[in-house]
Amino acid sequence: MEYQSLIPVADTIPAPSWIFIVLEQLLFLLHIILVNAVLGGALILLFKRISGKDEKNMINWQLPVAKKLPVMVALGINMAIPPLLFLQVVFGHLFYTSSVLMAVYWILIIPLLILAYYGTYIHVGKFASSPGFSKFSLFAAILIILYVGFMLVNNNSLMEQPELWTAYFENRGGTILNVSNPTFLPRYLHFITASVAVGGLLYAVVYFFKKDETEQKNEKIKDALKIFAIATSVQVVVGFWYLLAIPRDFILQFMGQNLVATVFLMLGILAGIGALVTGFLGKFKPAVVQLLITLVAMIITRHNLRMMYLSDNFQLSELKISPQYGILILFLVVLVAGLGAIAYMLKIGFNNKEGRAA
Amino acid sequence: MNYPIWELYNLNSGTLVAFISTIHAYVAHLAVGGGLFLWLTDLKAVRDKNPLISAYVRKHTWFFLLLTMVFGGVSGVGIWFIIALANPAATSSLIHNFVFGWAIEWVFFIGEITALLIYHYRHDQMREKDRLRVAFLYFLFAWLSMVIINGILSFMLTPGNWLETQGFWAGFFNPSYFSSLFFRTSASIMIAGLFGYVTVVFSNDAELRKQMLRYCTKWLLYPVPLIALGAVWYYFTVPEAVRFTTFQLNAQTQFIVTAFIVTSVLIFVFGIFFSLRTTPIIQRVLIFVFILIGLGWYSSFEYIREYARKPYIIYGYMYSTSIIESDIETINKDGLLKHAKWTTVKEINNDNELEAGRELFNIQCLACHTVGGVKNDIIEKTKNLSYMGMISQLYGQGKTLDYMPKFVGTQREMEALSAFITTELAGKEKVSQLSHYEPEPVENDIPPFDMKNDEYVLLAWNDLGMHCISDCDPWFILLPPANTLEAQLIKRGELPEIINEGVEIRYRVQKGFENPAAHVDFWDYTESYFGVKLDKNVGLGGKGLEGEFDWNEDRNSFIAEMIPVVPYNDDGSFNPYPLFYVEAIDKESGEVLMTTKTVAPVSTEMGCRNCHGGGWRVNGVSGVADETAINILKVHDRLNETNLYESAAAGKPVLCQSCHADPALGAEGKEEHNNFSTAIHGWHANYMYVEGGQACTMCHPASRKGNTRCNRGIHPQAGLNCVNCHGNLIDHATGLLNAQKDKPSSQRLLRNLQGSVPEVSPRLPWIQEPDCLGCHRDFEAPQKNATSFNQWVVGFNELYRIRTDMAGVRCEACHNSTHSEYPTVNAFGKNRDNTQTMQYSGSPLPIGAENQCEICHKKKMEYSIHHPNMVRDFRNLNLVSK
Repeated sequence: MEYQSLIPVADTIPAPSWIFIVLEQLLFLLHIILVNAVLGGALILLFKRISGKDEKNMINWQLPVAKKLPVMVALGINMAIPPLLFLQVVFGHLFYTSSVLMAVYWILIIPLLILAYYGTYIHVGKFASSPGFSKFSLFAAILIILYVGFMLVNNNSLMEQPELWTAYFENRGGTILNVSNPTFLPRYLHFITASVAVGGLLYAVVYFFKKDETEQKNEKIKDALKIFAIATSVQVVVGFWYLLAIPRDFILQFMGQNLVATVFLMLGILAGIGALVTGFLGKFKPAVVQLLITLVAMIITRHNLRMMYLSDNFQLSELKISPQYGILILFLVVLVAGLGAIAYMLKIGFNNKEGRAA
Repeated sequence: MNYPIWELYNLNSGTLVAFISTIHAYVAHLAVGGGLFLWLTDLKAVRDKNPLISAYVRKHTWFFLLLTMVFGGVSGVGIWFIIALANPAATSSLIHNFVFGWAIEWVFFIGEITALLIYHYRHDQMREKDRLRVAFLYFLFAWLSMVIINGILSFMLTPGNWLETQGFWAGFFNPSYFSSLFFRTSASIMIAGLFGYVTVVFSNDAELRKQMLRYCTKWLLYPVPLIALGAVWYYFTVPEAVRFTTFQLNAQTQFIVTAFIVTSVLIFVFGIFFSLRTTPIIQRVLIFVFILIGLGWYSSFEYIREYARKPYIIYGYMYSTSIIESDIETINKDGLLKHAKWTTVKEINNDNELEAGRELFNIQCLACHTVGGVKNDIIEKTKNLSYMGMISQLYGQGKTLDYMPKFVGTQREMEALSAFITTELAGKEKVSQLSHYEPEPVENDIPPFDMKNDEYVLLAWNDLGMHCISDCDPWFILLPPANTLEAQLIKRGELPEIINEGVEIRYRVQKGFENPAAHVDFWDYTESYFGVKLDKNVGLGGKGLEGEFDWNEDRNSFIAEMIPVVPYNDDGSFNPYPLFYVEAIDKESGEVLMTTKTVAPVSTEMGCRNCHGGGWRVNGVSGVADETAINILKVHDRLNETNLYESAAAGKPVLCQSCHADPALGAEGKEEHNNFSTAIHGWHANYMYVEGGQACTMCHPASRKGNTRCNRGIHPQAGLNCVNCHGNLIDHATGLLNAQKDKPSSQRLLRNLQGSVPEVSPRLPWIQEPDCLGCHRDFEAPQKNATSFNQWVVGFNELYRIRTDMAGVRCEACHNSTHSEYPTVNAFGKNRDNTQTMQYSGSPLPIGAENQCEICHKKKMEYSIHHPNMVRDFRNLNLVSK
């Protein structure tokens, strides 16, 4: 069977596709930072808790990070919604298909994620009173988040390669994965190492804002940045592995044939290298800024690679538009108002100068 | 069609949708109502300066956060995941039409989460005023989320003008938007009260429990009137057709409605109970029960809403099967497989039929059915259907019972799907043809007649060409065993006389048929059916298998009504044409004036089994088997909320005509129901997938290869079949339904019947039948392509079986019964039906044909007073010689 005949007809979209792509990329950036921070933070935390012995030290230096995790999980899940929503507008016909092909694994994300979410709460709640259970909860949460990432990589890669879809006729039970694809492992590792790097940075951020005037604080920040720098070093290697695993045509496009793709990839690599250097040097703010530049460039590169993969099977220009600009504007107005309200709540929530409640 | 289908046979993705959605939505409503609850309870604590309530709010917030934000938040995403797996096309449609709505909802969601996190984590660090503002903002955002999602949810049930305009706002502010929002808002407040108890009963502070239990009860019960009002409002904002389908047609909804009512009452009772003083232990146990009752209540509401949408996923636009309404015409023409992207088969042949059936099953059935699973198990649902029954089911699906979608595709695809379900899934045999039976002709002596010396001609006939009985007496009877014989005795002479005095006409059945009670159970159930206890082998008219005719002035004939003959011979053979010996005896002298024979055609070859499953009841040849009968009763019970099966199983079978009027039995039935013939033809016309005479033979014993072959007169020999007189089944049914057009059931059955003529004249069964003179105008030869369909006689007395000629001789006396008009061909013996005409004229032609006036007149006559165009040569002699 010709796989091209399987590609579903896309629905009409309510605004030009670039609007959704920009929104998707922008909000994905926020989502991935949160998720990387959660996973990486949790991995480092678990490592520290297993390897460390001083419980007092744990409460002083690890618990503050642990307390951030449930909140970041909440926000991370929340921030997953808009990129997934906007992705479905532009690539829905591809995404729904790949999701069905791996339906069993895909839907399992939901109950597992609920468990992981509770796991992060249990981890904090039982941090001191039941350290074993606490650590186990964190471990379970990590495994689940690794599972979710694993499945997302599967789904994205299946979505981008309709030529793999004919596997459906051998397996209709929703258990198709794409792990044998040469790009799969480097792509997945790219997510994990990025998480460790961002996790290191999370530590640095938490310590940076920690009310602690001792010298130990700066040491801890430097240690955290070191984790960030080492992980980023590994990430550079994994990144090149990933680059070399993609089809030759795409490599050439990233090597100059496609100027935009090349520029963003180079920018990402350079900023990444810059971030790891400043990380090793223990310079907090420059490391953060360069990491952000790396993430933006890599997210754009991710999109460019997606379009390369899909180039034979889907062009954005194929999408028909039936505009709903009025509602788009309404959304933007609501978004601004919502952000305003959030800012207001943060302001009054953290404004305790005028005294506490009775 | 556009997407691959997750082949989850045992569970079905729809079940997962239901599971995730109901639990999520229950908690999501708590998130809304609970927001109001937290804000106002906190406000009360502040205003009353009540530290107990403050402590309660603090504690409840934590529970609330863990439940609504963690479980509620992720399970909400879960719905999105699962609907995209279960119905990607519909999800895509919702996303593409309402993406900015969803995006706005996300803004509210993040506002909601931020507020709740701040309210919880900064609870004690904020000023009271600010904390209350955050609480209010939490509620506002949560409710605004509902404002958005309600628009999309209610759109799916009542898309309103969106169907024409496809506009965002037309879909969003749809007809049931505000009623749904009102109902949901009210319900969310009640749910907040219910969950409010949880924190209370687990508190160890007795004073707090005392204060807060009553407080929560108020939250639980005060919204009840609003919920009731909202429910009524909601009910009336959905279209009437939807309400009818949901609450009248769909038996599955009845259970859910009952659950909704029962749980409503239980919530009220539990609410009162929790406000009373009981021990904390009992309360802590019962609160879990209470929460489950709340879930039951809420789930039943959502279920009813979901069922109301059936068979659509977006009402009037897209079916649950993902097929778009406007594509149906094209798909029906080209075939579904051609348009479906994710199928291996595009053209069906004998080798790939089952594979094609699987593809069709996945597309058209799997959205709602499982295979051996918990919900709508297809094997269980179709267990009573044969292969042909399955095709009928698919053909009629969605035509009378609107909650199922119509089958989409070609007839060949329908057959492939049926083959897949019945053979591959249910492991049944595929029987695609009616049963074939080769009768053995039985010898039949022709009684003597001396043209020269005999003084009398005795003509006897059965009033109907075939009396059909269902011999599944313990379960139901369509008609009782009851053949009616008539006879006219003619004294021969130049001016013959019809004799009605001084003679006695006697009858007796041929040997082997004297004891029908040995073959059928009819006599065990006469009290249940007719309220009378009959002696064995005596019919409802008091006649047995041997007896005397009575003179009937109206009919101008001797008549023996309702003789309970059956087609089973004591020797084990089946013969639907038992012969009756008829004798005319001089009352005074006792002399036998004339003897003749006639058949009493009676058959148990009912085609029910072709679709409803089961074998033949008797010797693998004929009769309605228990299995078939039970299946039919159960279908009737399911669709009409009767309990016919239970009643029959308890030994008290119900007479169909006790509800459905029937002129054949003189039964008045019930006013609201269609008469029996109309109900049975009207219903089955919607399900009959074959046309022409073939459709008739699916049920009636008229198949040319069957065990009865009842259509044995001159007409089939001339190439005519049932429809030439009665019309196609659809036309036939339409005529009957048109006569009862004022009944809602008729309107429902007529909706999808498209006959061959614009207007079928209404007719009453048994009373208005096709008029012979419709074709034989003025008794002449019919015109080419003549039909008597839609030319019904005006009333009972105009029926062929009742009418006489100008001399008082009954039509049937000379031409024989309906469906067996001379000359006949009977597979059980060529001249079995021709006995009398062979006796009197030596030929199978009608009595008096070919100018054989001497049979009665003792001489040739110059003209006929019987009817015009009689004195002539027989037209179709060439057929007789065949």
